[in-house]
Amino acid sequence: MATTIIQTEKLVGKRIRRREDPRLITGTATYVDDIQMPGMHHAAIVRSPHAAAKIRSINIKAAAEAPGVVAVFTGKDTEKVGPVPCGASLPGLRVPHHYILAIDRVYLVGHPVAVVVATDRYLARDAADLVEVEWEVLPAVADPEKAIAPGAPPVHPQWPDNVAFVYHQEGGDVDKAFAEAEVVVKQRITSQRLIPSAMETRGVLAEWRGADRQMTLYTSTQIPHLVRTLVSGMLGLEENRMRVIAPEVGGGFGSKLNVYSEEALMGFVSMKIGKPVKWIESRRENFLCTIHGRGHVDYFEVAAKKDGTILGIKLKLIQDQGAYHQLLGPAIPTLSVLMMPGLYRTKNVRAEIVGVFTNCTPTDAYRGAGRPEATHGIERMVDILADELKMDPAEIRLKNFVHNEEFPFPTATGLTYDSGDYAAPLQKAMGIVDYKKLLAEQAEARKQGKLMGIGICTYGEICGFGPSPATPAGGWECGTVRVEPSGKVTVLTGSCHHGQGEETTFAQIAADELGVDIDDILVLRGDTAIVPYGIGTFGSRATAIGGTALYFALQDLKVKIKKFGAVLLGSPDVSFANGQVTCNKMGKSVSFKEVAAASYRAMKLPPNTEPGLVSTHFWEPPNFTFGFGAHIAVTEIDPETGQITVRRYLAVDDCGNIINPLLVDGQVHGGVAQGMGQALWEQGVYDDNGQLITGEYTDYAMPRAHMMPWIQSEHTITPSPVNPLGVKGVGEAGTIGASPSLVNSVVDALSHLGVRHIDMPMTPEKIWKLVAGGKN
Amino acid sequence: MLARAIPGCEGLEQTGPDEYRMKMKMALASLSGAFEGKVKITDSNPPSSFRLLVEGSSKIGFVKGEGLLTLTASGENTDISYEGDAQIGGTMAAIGQRLIDGTSKMMIKKFFEKLTAESAS
Repeated sequence: MATTIIQTEKLVGKRIRRREDPRLITGTATYVDDIQMPGMHHAAIVRSPHAAAKIRSINIKAAAEAPGVVAVFTGKDTEKVGPVPCGASLPGLRVPHHYILAIDRVYLVGHPVAVVVATDRYLARDAADLVEVEWEVLPAVADPEKAIAPGAPPVHPQWPDNVAFVYHQEGGDVDKAFAEAEVVVKQRITSQRLIPSAMETRGVLAEWRGADRQMTLYTSTQIPHLVRTLVSGMLGLEENRMRVIAPEVGGGFGSKLNVYSEEALMGFVSMKIGKPVKWIESRRENFLCTIHGRGHVDYFEVAAKKDGTILGIKLKLIQDQGAYHQLLGPAIPTLSVLMMPGLYRTKNVRAEIVGVFTNCTPTDAYRGAGRPEATHGIERMVDILADELKMDPAEIRLKNFVHNEEFPFPTATGLTYDSGDYAAPLQKAMGIVDYKKLLAEQAEARKQGKLMGIGICTYGEICGFGPSPATPAGGWECGTVRVEPSGKVTVLTGSCHHGQGEETTFAQIAADELGVDIDDILVLRGDTAIVPYGIGTFGSRATAIGGTALYFALQDLKVKIKKFGAVLLGSPDVSFANGQVTCNKMGKSVSFKEVAAASYRAMKLPPNTEPGLVSTHFWEPPNFTFGFGAHIAVTEIDPETGQITVRRYLAVDDCGNIINPLLVDGQVHGGVAQGMGQALWEQGVYDDNGQLITGEYTDYAMPRAHMMPWIQSEHTITPSPVNPLGVKGVGEAGTIGASPSLVNSVVDALSHLGVRHIDMPMTPEKIWKLVAGGKN
Repeated sequence: MLARAIPGCEGLEQTGPDEYRMKMKMALASLSGAFEGKVKITDSNPPSSFRLLVEGSSKIGFVKGEGLLTLTASGENTDISYEGDAQIGGTMAAIGQRLIDGTSKMMIKKFFEKLTAESAS
């Protein structure tokens, strides 16, 4: 028996280039819009130009008679389709009925009111302009604080106070902490609306085959299985008769962790016209009709002793929910509250969230989803406290961190931080940048009238969402390994990666466990007909949970491989390593490939063993994973223009064991870019009438590559005890660390001018005014 | 005279006392659209002032505005001053916000220039 595969070098931990990249960078990947079908029709959606209005009448006659148009549907036609679902449940949560097309009233600009279906995309678009809607325009409100002030126009007439929910959380004895405080610092901190801006906009293609009573729905989503469960329910179609496929997905950042009206609407249209129908979101629609992120106004108070010991934290959090709840909207600020103590020991916290309806696009999960807002808040407050006490920002952090011997550490907000060494990344970062030398340089620069800042952020992150009881739809993940008769390996995962690179990292894990060549492994995801079930990719969970499910499926498979190997070798005394089942006593081995063939040929089965080599594992995590880290940003400010230059950006992240350092670097770079976008440039702005006035990239300042500094990514490694891979998650870490370190840095540069806080984005105009004329 | 003075105006039709239906073409950077709307004159206080209410919509969005025009004698000339508010919505608001100010100033300037020229002839 020949030895055909020899592999002793492990792939996990190596900088392997992404196997998915060639098709992505050569433009040959298949996105929803690349899919063509015979008889396919195209839909264009008529949307409200008003933020609040009653619909007096809709006249579809001209549109219906336009060239190429086969059908026009309005809210009256789709009234019976189930509402766009809100999966978040909070006590007393008010959930407006979210029709897929407006019935008699619109609540935001971009609200869909009709759909025009034609044989050609451009004919559909032209005909959409012919739909005449008679509006009765109503007053609107776009600012969450104005919305809850007396006399504000009601977004939903049944709830005139515009309050979507109020949520309290408390731990320890906050009143005692504040009574005993030697110092209390307070600050209003905003985390502005952001527009997620995935490179690929959303798109849906629905194909109803009435004779089979089956539908295939292609959609650009992070959660194909949940879309199937929920959209089939909306359409009244049996779940097993719908197949959802997420083909190549060009980014999501949380914005595709959702169920949108258009997904059900295309299903509805296809069932009505009996033809496939496609809708591709335009970029302008994407600005208005795909969820936004953040939208916080936070009022923080921190109580402390004079030596810098934090005694307690109070937070009033006003969350701009927008006009509707999308899938997880109201749950997002509760994550901010969970994370509000950061890495600090204080056990006394009190938070109140007021979720507010506005006539704006709904907010929901966007890279970090509640944790960047929380970290921004606490990390700004710690700097403000340090400033008040004239302490060094690094020193005050080191003083308040949870100590290593305190793990597992129950937090004031009900989490259990299982492991960590919080001082390690900060100390490492300070060493790399030579913190003392930087301070000396800054003192010297100030003497010369130059503005230089050093900003520190230390963060904790809830990764690996999450144990099922803590999630709205189950928090496990599913992994299947199928060894084909030829010995090729197919991995099916419920993680629906959309740019994260699991086709590479999951193949690394499988290659190491089975001892096969990485090129023999194919990782498939995103198709409900081939993956048993899946929760999806979001919340820095794919590797920690999906990777672990795969790992356990591989362990089960290895047991079976040994059984078949033992039969082939004629000895029960075998081991499996490096792609060989070996009997040391006999000095014989049999290859993985031979075992695979034998398992399907099934000439001789091991006792109590089924033919074939397929294994599926659903893995339920016992806890979240808790990544942490320290970021340092060094900035310089041009006093003449207010322009900020990020001279140095260092991220030291502890994401546990690293499967592929190249991909981790990529995640950190991308995350920092998005955090930097929020800190310096991006802002979704509505005018007082609820018109989004940053509706295109000419007005919405997305960072460009040339605006990015060099980002240095380093690590400390504390393996997670929650999963056997020891991994945590790193998809959101960069975003979480970036905005506080940058704002802290710029405030530090201006602190001698009396500046203590700056709200984002820190545009040159804002900075120039501060330099020219004093406080924020 | 008014129809000739309003830039882009393609038709102004009286529908009632002090009320007109108007068609006009307007361009805002890369956007252009044919607007249909209403013009109404209220608070008429001849010869010194009146209020102009304008409402129009098109494929590229809607405009709603009102302005108070005040006429004061200044020697042989009449000075016209104006103040007002305008709301825009739809695509125009989403992508043209920064251009609105400049474009509306330009249109107002054109309007008064034309009006002056028309009155003189």
